Amino acid sequence: MFGFTLIALAAVAGVIFSVPTRWKSRTALLIVAAGVLLPAAKAVGVLLDPASGGELWLSQNPIFGSEGCSMDTLSALFVLIIALGGVATSLYACGYLKHYEESKSSAHFSLHCLSLVVLIFSMMGVVVADGGYTFLFYWELMTIASFLLILFDAQKPEVTRAALSYLVMMHIGFLFLVGGFVKLWMETGSADFAALGQYYREGQIIPLFLIFLAGFGMKAGLFPMHVWLPEAHPAAPSHVSAIMSGVMIKTGIYGLLRITAPIEGETLYTVGLILLGAGIVTGLWGVILAATQNDVKRLMAYSSIENIGVILIGLGIASIGKYTGNEAVMLCGLCGALLHTANHSFFKSLLFFGAGNIYSEMHTTSLDKLGGVAKSMPMTATIFLVATAAICALPPLNGFVSEWLMYVGLLNNVATGEAVVAAACGLIGLALIGGVVVLAFTKLYGTVFLGSPRSHEVAEAAEVDNFRIAATALPLLGILAVGLFPQGAVRVVARAAEFFLSYSELSSSQMAEMIFSETLGKLSLTAWILVVVIALVFWLKSRALKQRTVSSGPTWGCGFTATNTRMEYTGESFSEGLQSIAPSLTKNTGEGDAVTHQEIFPTQHTFSVGHKDKIDSLFAAWWVELLRRINGYVMRLRTGKINHYVLFALIFFVLIFLISLFNWI
Amino acid sequence: MLQILNFILLLLVAVSIPGVINRTRARLAGRLGIRFTQHLRNVGVLLRKGAVYSPTTTALFRLTPACYFGSALVALLFIPVGDLHAPLAFKGDLICFAYTLAIGRFFLILAALDTGSSFEGMGASREALYGALVEPALMLLFGTLALLFGYTSFDDIFSAARHFDVQLTIILLLMAYLFVRLLFVEAGRVPVDDPRTHLELTMIHEVMCLDYCGVDLALIQMGGWLKSAAFAVVAANAVAMPLGYHWWVVTPLAVLLAALPIGVVESSQARNKLSRNTTFILTIVAMAAIVFFMGYLIQQNIQI
Repeated sequence: MFGFTLIALAAVAGVIFSVPTRWKSRTALLIVAAGVLLPAAKAVGVLLDPASGGELWLSQNPIFGSEGCSMDTLSALFVLIIALGGVATSLYACGYLKHYEESKSSAHFSLHCLSLVVLIFSMMGVVVADGGYTFLFYWELMTIASFLLILFDAQKPEVTRAALSYLVMMHIGFLFLVGGFVKLWMETGSADFAALGQYYREGQIIPLFLIFLAGFGMKAGLFPMHVWLPEAHPAAPSHVSAIMSGVMIKTGIYGLLRITAPIEGETLYTVGLILLGAGIVTGLWGVILAATQNDVKRLMAYSSIENIGVILIGLGIASIGKYTGNEAVMLCGLCGALLHTANHSFFKSLLFFGAGNIYSEMHTTSLDKLGGVAKSMPMTATIFLVATAAICALPPLNGFVSEWLMYVGLLNNVATGEAVVAAACGLIGLALIGGVVVLAFTKLYGTVFLGSPRSHEVAEAAEVDNFRIAATALPLLGILAVGLFPQGAVRVVARAAEFFLSYSELSSSQMAEMIFSETLGKLSLTAWILVVVIALVFWLKSRALKQRTVSSGPTWGCGFTATNTRMEYTGESFSEGLQSIAPSLTKNTGEGDAVTHQEIFPTQHTFSVGHKDKIDSLFAAWWVELLRRINGYVMRLRTGKINHYVLFALIFFVLIFLISLFNWI
Repeated sequence: MLQILNFILLLLVAVSIPGVINRTRARLAGRLGIRFTQHLRNVGVLLRKGAVYSPTTTALFRLTPACYFGSALVALLFIPVGDLHAPLAFKGDLICFAYTLAIGRFFLILAALDTGSSFEGMGASREALYGALVEPALMLLFGTLALLFGYTSFDDIFSAARHFDVQLTIILLLMAYLFVRLLFVEAGRVPVDDPRTHLELTMIHEVMCLDYCGVDLALIQMGGWLKSAAFAVVAANAVAMPLGYHWWVVTPLAVLLAALPIGVVESSQARNKLSRNTTFILTIVAMAAIVFFMGYLIQQNIQI
């Protein structure tokens, strides 16, 4: 299997490196589209008939022995998410990369396209791997591929810095995962996920769980390990951000799902509380930081952190529901979490595609330099609006369905009187997250797309090419389908929820059918009523206005007539209210000098404000300082005298000799 | 049939509240007051007018009134009046109600930013912040309802078996009080916002629709009435619940519960300093949390 992977890698590399530059991105698209067909078909088959899943491969590895790859319904769901995200992303890349064909070298370009293909397929490898070795192999491949993808604009120092910090943090996470799998293998003799059940029955659950939580949380962007996300996303090209934020960080969620599922008994409640708490903190931190950001991609990166928090809240609800034996709560939480995973991949891809369109046409992603983009890019603006409404969890779109499921789970907890206090915390957290998301994204959409343009470049931009518009079709379809037909969507994710059940007479989909069928029908009805009522009111209004005078006049300036675009409400001022009540989360900087009294004729002044994540600076200050100090000590050994080095070699030999003599290790 | 009556009653509450508010304010100021149906006539006039749109705006600006009014209309479908049944009821419709109302807010904020006016941006920013802070209070109150009655749908909750119980009554009265306070925020009334102020700098809701006129303005105003009616009826249901109530009690009660406090507060109190508004809303959240935990204690049969 590893041999096969290497051969495939070499073949794909050969093809991509040999075709001419202008065909490279399309070749990558073709390879991705053709390559995902088989796994996607298999995944659909497994979701339709769970019995058809099973072993795909078996292979030997030198460390943990024989391991396989198999596809159960959970893997199938993730394979589908990856396939959809992958195809949309490579389609978008075809349009986006066109501008760079001249400026980048051919090899650089090939490497980028190759990494994209490798990233997509290694993610598939991650979600079908059964055992630790295979899992970690693809996990590492995924990390390296995404690292290379971030490095696309490697000539910029901030890109290199972001990519390196990503690489370092991912490998810290990787070490945790290795530790976790080795521990599992030492206790049970197998590093398969299937061995977790045995381990949990015999060994200490919480320590292993926490090790894995740290490892997977690093990838997912769990607080306080999220600091790489807001650095990496603005640095990476937009399609890379889209797939990393929409799909790749979800592999962390996948891992968490796998390690949480076999936990049973008393500990499950603790685990549920840990997940719920981590979710609430991550979600709130992410969303409040998102609301204060003044860069499109940075804001969306923080919003990804928030969504990971929401998914974890769902997972926490599911664990608590499983512990109390309340199937409705468990399914609500789990289906909510799984559906939100899919939903987030849809709308976050769209949002990052939109950000890419803006960046490639206007060469900036700073909120306060844009404005009025809706006029120059109407298609992008419309698509972005749908994605914005979806991420704000507004009915009748998909984000609402998944958040609704979680709320229902929490309310069910409250209504049945189980874990009431935890559920109340969940309610408050989810509600506050939901509220601030609206603030963050109305700020984003309003400042970027509405109002008047704040610069010439923005005013004169044009709509992007058809590739990039076409790329939005798949995610857009997903958003509408899940929102308007929640029954179907929940049926699919309920199948994938099977892995979480310990034992029961009913399968998860039968259970979901019993619990949700009537309610979801009504929810779908509500969505349609909303669409119809709003369309009807709009139609009536437009018809009425047709017979009357509709004129155009300037925006009411409240008596002031000399307004200009610099006086528009900026993103910074929009979130000023939130800033004033949540100042302690960010380190705020304002640089620049004010106009003084003496200046009769004002000269040019620059002013910049920034809101830095406190965790970010904490991390940097703390461990960079430590590393520097350790480095200082080590440097003392480098004396430059040969006799010292001979002495070190001698000490080393003596140590080895003593260790083997007394059997210390 | 009765469900249609339910909906008509809600609309009746919606159109009566502004009238009663005006009457209350007039009486407290020693005036006779304008006609009871004056607000309806005003809206009627607006509905017959054309429209003026700023060239800065996009199609979103034209879509917003329909979204605001339409979503408020749909939100009413979940609310039962007294012992009647809501037209649309299912498990978890509490959440649907809150998020349907959020559609209106979302679009109104965007429409305000669409005009490119910094005054409207100011209003939008405040509305977004207050909307975000209100959300936890709303969810906690819904959580309390779910906790006390064991259901997650307005219809099931308000038609649950009722028996008089002093402790439950106290909690329900407190909840009604909080729903009315929330109404102050949601409807943009004193002390949070003053709909009659003439200074755009200090407005919240009114400044967001500065650029609307004619049909659009009428739709937004009516949407606001519908929203108030939803909160008023929920509060009235909570008050009337332990007393074995009927729709003919709840309907006038809803109008009075919403309109009298608003009228009295507007005649006797000045609006808050803007920076005090967050405190005002967070107080509601804190009180909602207290009500929730009191409900929890009662449900666990713990004597305080």
